[in-house]
Amino acid sequence: MSPSPDPTTYGDPELYDLAYSAYRDDLDFYVAAARGAGGAVLEAACGTGRILIPTLQAGVDIDGFDLEPAMLERLKQKAAALGLAPRVDTADKRDFTLQRRYALVTVPFRAFMHLLTTDDQLRALRCMREHLEPGGALVLNFFYPSFERIANPGEEPRIEREFPHPETGLPVVLQGRTSFDRVNQLLEAKQEVLVSDARGYVSATRARAFTLRWTYRYEMELLLEAAGFTRYAVAGGFDGRPLERDTDEMVWTAWRDGA
Amino acid sequence: MRGPREPDLSFSAGAFQTPAAPPASAPGAAPSPFDDPVLYDRIFDTLDFDVAFWTRLAREARGPVLDVGCGTGRITLPMLEAGADVDGFDLSRPMLARLQEKARARDFWPGLKCADMRDFTLPRRYALIAIPFNAFLHNLTTDDQLATLSRCREHLADGGALVMHVSCFSAQSILDSGGPPVLELERRDHATGHLLQHYDERTIDPVRQVQHSRNEARELDAAGRVVSSRFSETDVRWIYPAELDLLLRVAGFGRREIHGGFEREPVGANHGMLIAFARKE
Repeated sequence: MSPSPDPTTYGDPELYDLAYSAYRDDLDFYVAAARGAGGAVLEAACGTGRILIPTLQAGVDIDGFDLEPAMLERLKQKAAALGLAPRVDTADKRDFTLQRRYALVTVPFRAFMHLLTTDDQLRALRCMREHLEPGGALVLNFFYPSFERIANPGEEPRIEREFPHPETGLPVVLQGRTSFDRVNQLLEAKQEVLVSDARGYVSATRARAFTLRWTYRYEMELLLEAAGFTRYAVAGGFDGRPLERDTDEMVWTAWRDGA
Repeated sequence: MRGPREPDLSFSAGAFQTPAAPPASAPGAAPSPFDDPVLYDRIFDTLDFDVAFWTRLAREARGPVLDVGCGTGRITLPMLEAGADVDGFDLSRPMLARLQEKARARDFWPGLKCADMRDFTLPRRYALIAIPFNAFLHNLTTDDQLATLSRCREHLADGGALVMHVSCFSAQSILDSGGPPVLELERRDHATGHLLQHYDERTIDPVRQVQHSRNEARELDAAGRVVSSRFSETDVRWIYPAELDLLLRVAGFGRREIHGGFEREPVGANHGMLIAFARKE
């Protein structure tokens, strides 16, 4: 097994929420998938509950796990404030054992990309398949590795997103520097979150770093085959359109045989 | 193996086995570069960067060797000259006919057959199955790739090795895509003094991992005048290193190695090639 993600990646849940709590592109899709699952749902790498909490609020029977205890602590605090009691625990995608079997297992928001080797990917896929009921579905998404995404854009940090601070409304900039290992399909990102004050000056800068492995379309099909899935499909976005362009998001569904 | 050996009747008697897939240049299809083997040889026959690699493997093989996509014998003939017992097959009859002619001229009698790599059946089992220089990339779907690997595995003797050489897809291919034709190869034809040029105009579909090439073989006389020009088209599907390892794994090969060069260099984007060894246990 390759090492777990750098602890500093998810060691600061407040920073994580500042950067991502406003991201909603995938939210309706995963909540709808959970509501339509017709059984219990498991969310792998549920983090601070950006998707898990709204899913609970929708009345779904959902469990979650994450590698990072600090993220789960924040999830529990946020859920408690809403009067919810989530069932979440620390676990590793590659090697976990739960008592229940699920109608749906999800790995949202490109968390699959934290699996940095083929062996880790296969371990995780097999483990998640084990936790599916017969006929149950695994759903996950990650970006198609377009040339733009995996080529060196230069030394200058690139602005990824700008958005208002969720509490103060002041501008926040998320920018990153990225380097690439195209043989091992690894992307190393150093991210900075810049918080501005009312006059527009940067008043605080906080940093995080992470490594992701990208996966190509046919490579993923082979991974699913090797992990024992015989039925799977890929869409080019959360709206279900066909995968045609290298700028599309790959949204995968793989079914466990039976039922 | 020197000396006469019973040639494969399906080839020598002219009674070719009909390939499962239509030939590359069925009526209405774009012309294939394999329809004109003489021209093909005039351009590519001196290409020898990989010959020493294959002849060494063939010489060291403890049994018969199969050359998949043998074409006009650019690799088959040197392997025969190295003393190996070699059979070959190819989808193109004109290419095979030229190989047979060249082999006979040197008194070699390799078993040759017109066959599709996704669906071939031969009577022998091989110590080495060679898929040289990008022949495997003519498989345009994962199903085709797995069918080919499965047929190869079936034709390996126990302990035998499948070895393939494919080019890495490069960022350059993306940059060239949709651009003007690139001069890929140029050589002086000593018999005529003419210059032979091979141009490649590429378009790619990154999601399907397919590169479409429109090739031009251009011949210029000593004064630089174009005396002939022939266009052809080919598609190849490229493979990434991790994907190649998975393909071999799914096809049932337990022991696999992937290198970035003929000397077992590590896989590196700059080497421009992948060499895969897969052994049947």
